[in-house]
This record gives sequence, C-alpha cells and structure tokens, in this order.
Amino acid sequence: MRPIPFITRLRRLSRGLLGAALLTQAMLASAQTLDTRFGPVEVDDNPQRVVTLYEGALDAAVAVGATPLGAVLTRAGAGVADYIQPRVPQIALVGSARETNLEAVIALRPDLILAPPNLSEEQYRLLSAVAPTIVPAVPRYQPDSWRQESRIYARALNRAAEMEAVLAAIDTRIAALRARFESGLAADARSATLVRWMPQGAMVMSPSLFSTTLLAAAGFEVQDAGIVKPGRPHSSPLSQEKLSLIDRDWLFLATLDAEGQAALDAARQSPAFARLAVVKNDRVVTVDGQIWTSASGPLAAQALLDRLDQLATSLTP
Amino acid sequence: MPVCYHSPQRARSHHRRPPPRHQAPAGFWLLRLRLPGCDCSLLIPRRALAVNLMLILCLLLTAVASLALGEVRLTPADVWRALSGAGPALDQLVVRELRLHRVLAGIATGAAFALAGCLLQTLARNRLATPGIIGIDNAATAFAVASVVGTGIALAPSAMALVGAATAAALAFGLAGSSGTRGYRFIIAGVGIGAIAGALTQFMLSQVAIDDANAAFPWTVGSLNARQPQATVLLAAALLPGLLLALRLSRALQLVQVSDAVSIGLGINLIRVRRQTLALSVVLTGLAVAVAGPVGLVALLGPEVARTLCRHRSVPLLASALSGALIMLLADLAGRLLMAPLEIPVGIVTALIGSPYLLWMLLNPSFRSQP
Amino acid sequence: MSRRDTRPLPVLLLAAGAVLVAICVTSLLLGAGEIGPLDALQVLLGGGSAEAAFVVTELRLPRTLIGLTVGVALGAAGALMQTLARNPLAEPGLLGVSAGSSFAVTLALLAGASAATLTVHVAQLGALIGCLLVLAAARIQGVGNDPIRLVLAGATLTGLLMSLMSLLLMLDQRSADEIRFWIIGSLAGRDPATLYAVLPSLLLALVLVLLIARPLAALALGERVAQGLGHHPGRVRLLAVMAVALLVGAATAVAGPIIFVGLVVPFIARALAGPDIRRTLWLCLPLGPVLLIAADILARLLVAPAELPLGVLTALVGAPVLLLLIRGRRLPTL
Repeated sequence: MRPIPFITRLRRLSRGLLGAALLTQAMLASAQTLDTRFGPVEVDDNPQRVVTLYEGALDAAVAVGATPLGAVLTRAGAGVADYIQPRVPQIALVGSARETNLEAVIALRPDLILAPPNLSEEQYRLLSAVAPTIVPAVPRYQPDSWRQESRIYARALNRAAEMEAVLAAIDTRIAALRARFESGLAADARSATLVRWMPQGAMVMSPSLFSTTLLAAAGFEVQDAGIVKPGRPHSSPLSQEKLSLIDRDWLFLATLDAEGQAALDAARQSPAFARLAVVKNDRVVTVDGQIWTSASGPLAAQALLDRLDQLATSLTP
Repeated sequence: MPVCYHSPQRARSHHRRPPPRHQAPAGFWLLRLRLPGCDCSLLIPRRALAVNLMLILCLLLTAVASLALGEVRLTPADVWRALSGAGPALDQLVVRELRLHRVLAGIATGAAFALAGCLLQTLARNRLATPGIIGIDNAATAFAVASVVGTGIALAPSAMALVGAATAAALAFGLAGSSGTRGYRFIIAGVGIGAIAGALTQFMLSQVAIDDANAAFPWTVGSLNARQPQATVLLAAALLPGLLLALRLSRALQLVQVSDAVSIGLGINLIRVRRQTLALSVVLTGLAVAVAGPVGLVALLGPEVARTLCRHRSVPLLASALSGALIMLLADLAGRLLMAPLEIPVGIVTALIGSPYLLWMLLNPSFRSQP
Repeated sequence: MSRRDTRPLPVLLLAAGAVLVAICVTSLLLGAGEIGPLDALQVLLGGGSAEAAFVVTELRLPRTLIGLTVGVALGAAGALMQTLARNPLAEPGLLGVSAGSSFAVTLALLAGASAATLTVHVAQLGALIGCLLVLAAARIQGVGNDPIRLVLAGATLTGLLMSLMSLLLMLDQRSADEIRFWIIGSLAGRDPATLYAVLPSLLLALVLVLLIARPLAALALGERVAQGLGHHPGRVRLLAVMAVALLVGAATAVAGPIIFVGLVVPFIARALAGPDIRRTLWLCLPLGPVLLIAADILARLLVAPAELPLGVLTALVGAPVLLLLIRGRRLPTL
C-alpha cells in the first residue's frame, strides 16, 4: 500500500490515454484485486520490481512500457528472445523454460511476479510467498489465449488501457494486411502450414497457436492436415513419406535459430521437400522460430506482422 | 555405526579358549554394560568412530553452506535466525522452504543410495555391484517417467519407482540364474536391463508433448530442485528403520563376506540374510530415485570413500551412508553455484565426478572386485 | 568339431545374402506413407504411378542404402572389435567408441562446424580416439582377460560423455536440435550426401578388413602362433583398430550412435558359422544390414506417420541378446 509518487501520476496524466480515468482510479485505491487461476490476488497498483517467468508475460509487460527486472531464457537461446533483447538490455535471467530458479527470483526482491498459465500449484505456493503472483486462468492453445493473457498481465501492471491501445493497433494492422493479401492472392491460393524444420523431419504446428491464429487473421487459411493431436502445440517429426501433408499454397518454415535461411537450405537437400509444389512455386517463407514457434504477446505479434508486411510487399510491390 | 556386538557367553561356546575378557583388541574400545539379566560388552573400532564423527561434522558444515549460499547469500547467523523463525520473511522462505528441503532431500537420498550400494556390494562380494550399475536406477526411472508423462498409469511416481526397482532386481536375479548375486553375470544382466529401461525412457519422452517431456526431465538426469516433499517424507520414514535393519544385518554380512561355509557354521540363516539385504537395498534405491531421480553413482562413491577412510575390513554401513549424504550435498551445492542462475542437475555433477573415478577403478591393474 | 563348423561358408553366405535381398525389398515396399506394398511392387517391376516411383526410388531406396552401409560397417566393426579384444561382449557401441564419435561431432558443431563432409572426418577421429582408449584399456593387466570389466569401463565412458553432452546442451541451447540427433541414432531424414562422403573411407576400411582377416585369425590363436606364421601382431592390431575407427566413425556420421548392432550380429554369426573368426567376419557383412534394416522398418511403421529413433529399437532388440549371451553356463571367450 505504497502511496503513489506525484511524478508518476503526472507521467500517467501526460500519457493521455484515458489518463483522467486512470488517475481517479489511482487516487481511489492503491491496490486492486485480480482473478487468477489460483483465486483472487491483490496487487499493488504501481509495481516497481516485476519478474516475468514466461515469454508472453515479458512481451506484454514491455509492450505497455514496463521494464521487468528478470525473465526466463527463451526455449532455444542463451538469453531472452532476440526481438525483445534490445528493449530490456539489463534484464536478469532467473532460469530456463524448463526450470525456474526460485532463489534467483527472490534475489531480485520482486513486488509482482507474472507467471505462465501452466504454473504448477507447488511452484505457485512458493512464488506467492515472495510476491503477488499472477497466473492467468486462460486455457492454453486457444485462438485468443495470448490476448487474454496479455490483458491480465497488463491489468496486474495497472496498464490495462495501454494494453487496449496496443491490441487495437495490432488489430488495425492485421485488418490492413488482410485487405492486402485478399486483394493480392486469390481466395483459393491462401492455404498455409507453419512448420518447424528439425534434422529428423518437419514438425507441423497447431492452427490454434499464437502465430498461426495471427496468420489466419491476416487472411491465410492455416491447416495442420489433422495430424496435431488436440491440446498439443505441434505434431511429432513427420516421416519424409508423409511430407506431402504440408504441401499447401504457402509454407512458413521456422527454426529455433534465427537463421531461417539455413533451415531452408537444409530442407532443400531432402528430395521429398524439394519436390513439394509449394517449394517448386517458391512459396516457402522462412520465419524466425523464436517469434513464430516459441514467443507470444503484442511485441511478438508486431514482429510477426513485420514479416507478413515484407511478404505482402513482395507480392504487390 | 560399525560396531561389533560381542557377547562373551556366545563366544565361549565357539572358541575353546575365550579371549581375555577385560582387554580390547588393538584399535578398539571395549564398552561393558552390566544390566540386570544382560551382561554384554561392546567393541567400538576407534578409527571408525573418529571417521564417523568427522563425517558428521563435514556434513553439518556442508549443510550450513548449502543453506547460506546461492543466489541469495546469507551469513550463518542469518541462516540461524531464519531457521528459528526470526529475520526477514524472504530469508525465511529461502532457508526454510527452498534450501532446507533441498538439504534434507540431499542427505536422505545420498544416505539411502550409499547404504543400498554398500549392502548390495557386500552381498555380491563385488565393489561394482551397486544399484545404479545393475540397472535398478534406470528401471525405477523408466517406471516413474511412465507415470509422469501420463501413459494412463495412475500410480504416483514414487510407487512406480519402487515397482521399477523391484522388477529390475527380480529380473537381474532371475537372469543371473544359479550363480545368484555372485560374480559378474549378475552385473552384466543388470547392464542389459539398464539399457532396455533407458531405451524405454527415451522412447516415452520422444512420444509426448514438449511440456510433458520437460516435466519428466528431472527424472531422467537426477535433480534435487523443487522435488515432491511427500516423496522425501516417505524416504526419510524408511531410512531410519532401514539403517537399523542394516546395522542388525551387518554382523551376518561381515561373515558372509568371508565365506558361506563359515557363516553357515556360525549359525547364520544365509538365505534369510541375503533376502533381507537385497529387499532393503531395493526399497532404499527405489524410494531415493522417487525423490531425486537416478543419481546412482553416489551408491558407488559413498561406500568407496567410507572404506578408504575406515581402513577396516568390516562393513562400513554408517560411514557409507554419511559419505553418500556428504557427496550428494556437495554435488548439489556445486551444481547450484557453478552456472548460476542456471542449475546443473545433481545427477550430471555426480556423473562427471563419479565416472572418471569408476573408470580409474576399473582400469587399475591392482583392482580387486571384492570389497 | 560341432555341426555348425562344418557348414560350408558359401552356403551360409548365400543364405544370408538371400535374406538380405528379401529384407531390402521389404524395406522398399513398406513405409509410413500412402504408397502401399502393391504400389511399390509395381514400381519395382517397372510400372506404377509417378508418386509411387518417387517414394520408392528417392526416399526408400536411399534410406535402404544408408541402412545397408551402416549395417555392414557396424557388423564388421563388431566382429573386428570382438576379435581384437578377444571378448564376445566387446562392441563399439557398448565400449564407448560410438559415444566418442558423437561427442567429437557435438564439439565440432558447437565450435561452429556445419558441413556434412566435415562431420564425417570428425566422427572418425572421435572413433579412432575411442578405439585407442579401448585397446589401451584391454592391454592393462587384468582388464584384457576380464570381458565384463572392459564392458563396464565402456559403459562408464559412454555415461561420462553423455553427461558432458547434456551439460553442453545446457550451455548452448541454440544447437540443441542439431545435437540431440547425435545422442540417439536414426536413419530418418538423413542426407544421402553424407553417404557419398563416407563411401571412400568405408571402402578403404573394407579393403583393410580383407587384408588383415587372415593374420587376425592367426592372432586369435595367440601371439606366438601369429609370429610363427610370419605375421606382425602389432601391425595387424594397428590396422584393425584403424579399420574399426573408420567403420564406426562412418556409421556414426551417417546415422548417429547406434549401439548393440555390433554385439548382436557377430553373436548370430558365431551361432551359425562356429568360432572360426574368418567365417564369422564374412557372415557379419550380410547379417549386419539385415538386422539394421529390419529395425529401421519397425521404426517407420510402429508410430506412423511419425518415426521412432532407430537407436531405441536396436537397444530393445540388442539388450535381450546381451542377456542371452551371459545366460549360458560359461561366458564364451574368444
């Protein structure tokens, strides 16, 4: 229940967006209650020391102008994801996606912890003793999961209005892209698959992930050929003989390293891949796996839309 | 404690000339108890006593270091305050919730692994016959992973680990055939069982979603981070009676080490002793794997350290358990500090220390398999 | 002399060759995709659809050829290693030679190497170091004549290298996908270009095997006997080690570490052809690919449309053979 410094209030006011409403709210109460997966949680309405234990939470926090102190490693990197690294150069690492180092979290003395939706109850018990811990009660791998998660994280940071503005900007951009793709591509030439290329073969990503739903919103018809089991983010590596399953109008090819081109070169070596119509038609789009298969959140969405923007420009110069 | 229960009345019936009653052999202290209806004496090997006291001291020091060091650095005084329920709330959380549980789990699993190793080594008369080498760890892991990744098996990982350990031991025994636990056949059978179990674990992990595979990861390498407290409680509950039973068995085991004929001649029920020892070793290993995953090399290192320190031909059960606990704690501490904020799982640390030692042992021309 | 010693070798080889051809054809006929055995058969007979022709000639054929190569290499390497170490349990996979090979490749990948041709040489270098270590260990008094101590030492070395690899994976998660392949072997999605890269060294190794088969057989009768027959034991051993390193390195570079094949194949060969080392060695050449391709067919079919790692299957097949091997009254010695 810390009083809000005057200067902060001033900054909020100058931010313009629903500033008056915010100020009233800030003056009325210095704490707010959020509904999370583990029940209602009371948070300070001006958290200063935020630790994020999930890529989506880090993204959402940075998108609304907060500067988290700590974050976990991205799934295949030596730090946070490359697209977000320049915006949080000082961030401390508190573990990997596999294991959070609780002591490292405590060492940062956080006053708010933004945790992943699938946090275990045991971990929650410990984390919530350190600081208010927000675990969004959002079902995973649903088309709108990332928006709901982002909104909850933003509310915990008391920046709900900023998040609405950020999401609205994304929606506007998606609508514009959709119009460009719909005018540039025939209705029956917009089916697509998102694939992660592994040395053992291709893994088809589910159509209800963060990236695939954005792709769908931008006008593509995303398919998984029915081989992703329900509730799973992706299929097992496909046998080469089954590779025709990914032969749609478009193929978005991701790897966990940023060099998507290297993955494409590796894939081209395989005769089964080179033979796909989508490859022959040169409609393979290499994408950054850190953004397309691991991250989620508004900033990742913007980075993803940047790539689609390039694609649209290359189609209709 | 490796004590020799020595009852004068008994001794007289076996030896024609009883040893002088008031003099202890070199290197021992003689403790005499005169209670109504019970007149017995206790021989305490001095060196073993000193070694055990030293190990307990080291264990305490390491435990304090484990409680104090990490991402949040505390002084021993802070630790003491936090343990007694005073001091800042966050310090209390770090010490009491995170590190204390870890330290206790480390001590319990290290002691259980090493005790099981020492028992099995003595039983098989072979320094290499530790539960890890004969595949019990791998099988327990495979069963536990089967329950973690949701193959529809409803038993808890701890129970599954026990079932796996028992299955592996039964298989190793069955395959070793008439030669029993003697000789290398038993060990190589275990190597085969371990390979099958390892392949099964890999197979299960390759078939599940990445999140489930991540959840099963600590099981595959062995880790003390954020383990189930219930499993630790179960292990601790089994450890104390286990230790007592082991000490009870120790005199018989000491004779079994010498020769079957001698032990039968001295009135020891060999079959029962063997059965109890094996069962105890399997239960301890299974429960320890249920807490920390396969950290089996501790079962080899603990007894080795104990034997080196004790320099006595008896079965250093207590010293083994203490050394095992000490090794486990040190390895965990090193794993936590070396690559912070990432943790090296304790199983990898012990493998990096234990494997070269085992190699050296195996390739040493003067290696004798008998402990 | 038992009955199996008198079976004529050409008949055995012919029979094994027939089985090999049958299994290769099966491998061409069966797969995870829609192309069933009948469609594939049509292609083999010169007809069939373009799709079927592609699957059979471009996917299944290279894969079968890779299986053939790796199988020959591992079978021959197993027989050589067992003769060298005079130990029926001496197998390149069990003794840590394959692990040494994949560890070397992991290090090279972390250092930034990516070319397929480079990995072959790195893998062979790793295998050579592994072989020399095993041989050095086998010459230590008390280890050489104790089959199981050697195997345990190999298993320990493998465990050590695998732990180091896990640690490296933690340090550099970017290469994790690349490296994971070097932990469990597989024939899926392997680049046929790697196959061409390993062929020269493989042929060299097979020529070496041809040259040293006779002296090696003499050496198996004892150092004195070999010297008496005009052979140089030291030179023969060195050549044999080089052959094993080339074979295992090539196999690992193509398919990753695959254990137990080198154990099972000579075991079956001995059961068929008797203890004569040369007869066993020749019989291993067709039997190795039979086992490997059979395991690979299972790997494709069991969880289609995905695939199982081949290394898992060979362990599931090979470990029971290991158990069978020690089940006998007396441990067989060479």
